Amino acid sequence: MKKKNIWMNVNGEWHDLTVTLQDRLIDTLRDQIGLTGTKEGCGEGECGACTINLNGKAVLACLMLSVQADGAQVTTIEGLQNGTDLHPLQTAFLTESAVQCGYCTPGMIMAGHALIKQNPDPDKTTVKTCLANNLCRCTGYEQPVKAVLKAAGEMRRKIK
Amino acid sequence: MSLQYNLENYYKPETMKQAVDLLLKFGKTAKVIAGGTDILPKRQCGAQFDTITHLIDISNLGLNYIKESKGNLCIGASTNINSLVTASAFHSNPYIGLIEAAEAHSTNTIRNQATVGGNLCNASPCADLALPLLALSACVVVAGPKGNHTIQLDTFFKGPNCTALLPGEILLEIIIPNHQETTGASFIKLRHHQTEVDMAVVNVATQLLLDGNNCLRAMIALGSVGPTSFLAKKAAGILSRQTLNKKLIEQAAMLAADESAPIDDNRATAGYRKEMAAVLVKNSLEKSWERSRK
Repeated sequence: MKKKNIWMNVNGEWHDLTVTLQDRLIDTLRDQIGLTGTKEGCGEGECGACTINLNGKAVLACLMLSVQADGAQVTTIEGLQNGTDLHPLQTAFLTESAVQCGYCTPGMIMAGHALIKQNPDPDKTTVKTCLANNLCRCTGYEQPVKAVLKAAGEMRRKIK
Repeated sequence: MSLQYNLENYYKPETMKQAVDLLLKFGKTAKVIAGGTDILPKRQCGAQFDTITHLIDISNLGLNYIKESKGNLCIGASTNINSLVTASAFHSNPYIGLIEAAEAHSTNTIRNQATVGGNLCNASPCADLALPLLALSACVVVAGPKGNHTIQLDTFFKGPNCTALLPGEILLEIIIPNHQETTGASFIKLRHHQTEVDMAVVNVATQLLLDGNNCLRAMIALGSVGPTSFLAKKAAGILSRQTLNKKLIEQAAMLAADESAPIDDNRATAGYRKEMAAVLVKNSLEKSWERSRK
């Protein structure tokens, strides 16, 4: 199987990786780097469970080959917390009870993370549009939307 | 879970000449990608890409731009679809249909990666962006072994997943000619499930340029109801140089549905598609008419 060397910054750390041409980014993140926070749901771009941030934008790690991410800056759910301090988004998902089984949560949080970076003060409709690609089979959608709005508010207060 | 590919190599050329040379060298075993969001799901479906062994990634060729040139609006082929939504250039009357189509295309996350050129080159009969671009009389610039040339978008789609691109040719840019501010435009998409990811059962884009209620120019583009996205020219023809009224719009909508040639598939039957084509064209024309008066 053909292999290629790539270089990728994941959560602030550069990795020299040897990947096969058919490895998807989600395979490399989970199986090679061991970051299993990024989940695979449908594997065809419909559920959003594998949402990560690539060069600051929310993208799906199941719809991208690892070789395409050569030289990229990747942030996964593991890259959000600071030591033992949870990221405001993670805290908000807990306090708003936006987590039940938790499988879709990393994808939702990473979609919210990219949104807040781009738009620190999103309204409810913007958050709903942002999370429209993230399917949840147990918690529902009200709580995650509330959690993203709450986290955005928290992050604005911190900056002030 | 890794998918079973037979890929032999992946290239990310730095110049257009390198890209064209690679494409010529590997012929039908090569596929140009930019966002690449369609190659993985298609691969799971099998068949179509079984012969592809070389991927040529054109995302390093500087084709990610939206700019004005000689009065035209130019979109680089590897511009991601979300860039259309945020570009101020398209936030005026004639281009509303393009923004509506971009927002209706897949999901926010996929649109960050998927490109305008990719949506056209896939030549899916249900491609959302193809329709407003057809209605805007866009053309595409193509690079190839013999240099660059231009193709009218109207003649670009040759069949399902088949374009006018010849061996060794790569889509460079989409050019949208200037349109008057009084042009009204709209895009409507009917989906089986009204979820973001669902593909169109029928999609329609229309454009009307009016002088009072006198129609100077009408364009009707239909998708998902034929082997390619197409312009319903007979239907648009009965509107041109006529005084618009509701009855005439209904006639044009029926004629547009007559021009369609849908098939039965797992998303809808041909009969339903044809009926809905008439409804969507009527609604879209009425919307464009209303918008042209603003």
